[in-house]
Amino acid sequence: MASNHSVSGEEAKRHKLEGPQKHIVAFVLSLALTIIAFAAVAAGEINTTFTYIILVVMALIQVFVQLAFWMHMKDRGHLFPIICILSGVFVVFAMVIMAVYWVWW
Amino acid sequence: MSAHQHVEGHLPHEPEKATLEGRNKVLGFWIFLGAEVVLFGTLFSAFIALRHQVLDGPHPSHLFELPMVFAATMILLTSSLMSVFAVQAMHRNKMKALIGWLFVTIILGLAFLGLEIYEFNTYVSEGHKMNTSAFSSSFYTLVGFHGAHVAFGVLWISLLIAQLFKKGLTVVTAPKIYLSMIYWHFIDVVWVFIFTVVYLMGKVG
Repeated sequence: MASNHSVSGEEAKRHKLEGPQKHIVAFVLSLALTIIAFAAVAAGEINTTFTYIILVVMALIQVFVQLAFWMHMKDRGHLFPIICILSGVFVVFAMVIMAVYWVWW
Repeated sequence: MSAHQHVEGHLPHEPEKATLEGRNKVLGFWIFLGAEVVLFGTLFSAFIALRHQVLDGPHPSHLFELPMVFAATMILLTSSLMSVFAVQAMHRNKMKALIGWLFVTIILGLAFLGLEIYEFNTYVSEGHKMNTSAFSSSFYTLVGFHGAHVAFGVLWISLLIAQLFKKGLTVVTAPKIYLSMIYWHFIDVVWVFIFTVVYLMGKVG
């Protein structure tokens, strides 16, 4: 390794240092999904149910993109984080269904 | 990993996972994040159940202003990208770039907080207070909790920058940087649900 601590091209290749490209793609994708969601609402009353579906789908895709790329869940050795987050999500589903059921039925 | 290159004074590849302590921190932090998902989930469940109970307070579709929420979303999203660059600078052992990216992350976090404080101030002046209705209480609890997380993140990262100046980038400080950046992304993920469920769905009705 060079004395200035910067990583040479050969070194980068050996350790597979990831470049910013994927993350910029994830950023642009998140940006597009956000804009679609806001535009669907700003466009006015298309159809309430249809708008809701667009919003939920856009949010789920964006969360998936951010978890996979920015929180490294797509990388190897991330089974434990996935289990942690999924068990959290499981409790959340139970919570939301319970709260809505209690209040509205 | 080639051991012969990791001589005294050199930082190993992926310094956040180079020591057992670092790996344990990452593991423990994911358990914490699982619990955070549950914490925000309970607040979301309360909000979703109570969001139509406005009493005589303002209705969400009149209250929320999309441009302001959109600006806040863009700020937090950009801030998340900046923290990606911070970790990449750390993996390349570029101390100055790392501190620079962390600094930009904090500035954007502060901008988000400022916008949120301004927003809450406007709402209160429009008669949307903490004790106005079930909707307003659950709104302030949920969004305020997220804001508190942002404030904590800003404080945490500021302290980490101070520690970087004092101790430099080592296998002790690297896991802390890595985890604070994971935390920052997590805050952004929670915000995706907040702008969708609270603001956009509130606007739709």
